[in-house]
Amino acid sequence: MNNIYINSIKQISAQQPLVEDWFEQPIFYSEPYIRAIEPDYKQFFTPNEVRRFGKILKRALLVARQVMAESGVALPDAIITGTGLGCIESTEIFLDKLVRDGEELLNPTHFMQSTHNTIGSLIAIDTKCHSYNSTYAHNGISFECALQDAFMQMKREDAINRVSTALVGAHDEMTPTYFNLLKKTPYFGKLNQAFAGETAVAMMLSTEKAEKTICKIEAVEKMYFGHETIDKFQSQISNLKISNPDYIMVGTNDKPETDNIYLENCAKLFPNIPLLQYKNIFGESYTAPALGVYVAAICLQRGVIPEHLKISGSEFQISDNSVNKILCYNHFDNKNHTFILLSR
Amino acid sequence: MEELILKLKEEIIEILNLEGMKPEDIDADAPLFGEGLGLDSIDALELIVLMEKSYGIKLKDPNQGKEIFKSIKVMAEYIAENRTK
Repeated sequence: MNNIYINSIKQISAQQPLVEDWFEQPIFYSEPYIRAIEPDYKQFFTPNEVRRFGKILKRALLVARQVMAESGVALPDAIITGTGLGCIESTEIFLDKLVRDGEELLNPTHFMQSTHNTIGSLIAIDTKCHSYNSTYAHNGISFECALQDAFMQMKREDAINRVSTALVGAHDEMTPTYFNLLKKTPYFGKLNQAFAGETAVAMMLSTEKAEKTICKIEAVEKMYFGHETIDKFQSQISNLKISNPDYIMVGTNDKPETDNIYLENCAKLFPNIPLLQYKNIFGESYTAPALGVYVAAICLQRGVIPEHLKISGSEFQISDNSVNKILCYNHFDNKNHTFILLSR
Repeated sequence: MEELILKLKEEIIEILNLEGMKPEDIDADAPLFGEGLGLDSIDALELIVLMEKSYGIKLKDPNQGKEIFKSIKVMAEYIAENRTK
């Protein structure tokens, strides 16, 4: 079985884009809704690209180009994308105009950019990459589905269409309309809850270790918790190949009903292993778990955990543990649970 | 005609998202495609939608577009002659 490495990873989010400034100088927000900090796209795109592409497409294409350049992979064997909402901003504009004009006239630009798989196809067109291209849209586990697809294909040494390099992306916008809708549901709007944010993460996976390799992916596991008892569910989790992490990066967002599930499961399955957070500085979105992997990967690369990732109230000292293995644990509605184990 | 040219420039800036451009930056006689504004085939589709939505002009023959979309001035003249709203 092949080893799988993350050889480059980049983000655009509520933190400074394309850089790791959040490691030493994180930006903390008190507002409930924060849009991503956009880079100066004019430095990277032609004027026609800048004006035509929606926000999510510009972000996705830029992080994709950056990881391809950094890893030296011009043509990956696969482009796999996870997105909860797809190109929601273009979809809203397109539908809004359609309603306003009595369903008679279609604005082509927004129509063309209104599907979930526009992101992956744009990257393919831009890179002239005709290989495997797939998009996963599964709410809060969209990223993990994309990563697992890449992981499973890359693990196989005997595959006919062997995948040695894969560009995996996770992208979501949060429009004002969608945020206001979510505020009416239990999903957002609680006091002191992690802010609603946006995600654009790209990573280049490879079966070859490189000089600039950031970390290794040991395991990617997904589980559905339907009607089983909590004991049976936890015993199933304990059978996964995700043992002995030094830290667990969890998706706590200061909502007790979400956070307690992480805390209870981790206390039972991984007692005494310190928990880390990332949504306090990157916010919540369907593909936020990709930012959790990004944060964990950078921590492993540097061998250090910044103090602001520590969950408030936890008693451990950051410097007590070595930083060799981090388990990223995400759950969506306590039904879908995902585990990604990374190592140095 | 000057008023229509100005309105057309404003509409084109908005629908084609020509960030940072003002009506006075666009030469009414300059070619819209290739040189000049450097528009392409997708922009042509947006202009066809604009003609119908704002001025009630339906372009049935695609070859007409090549002539009508030569420049903003030519577009404005065509609109002035054929508009239904």
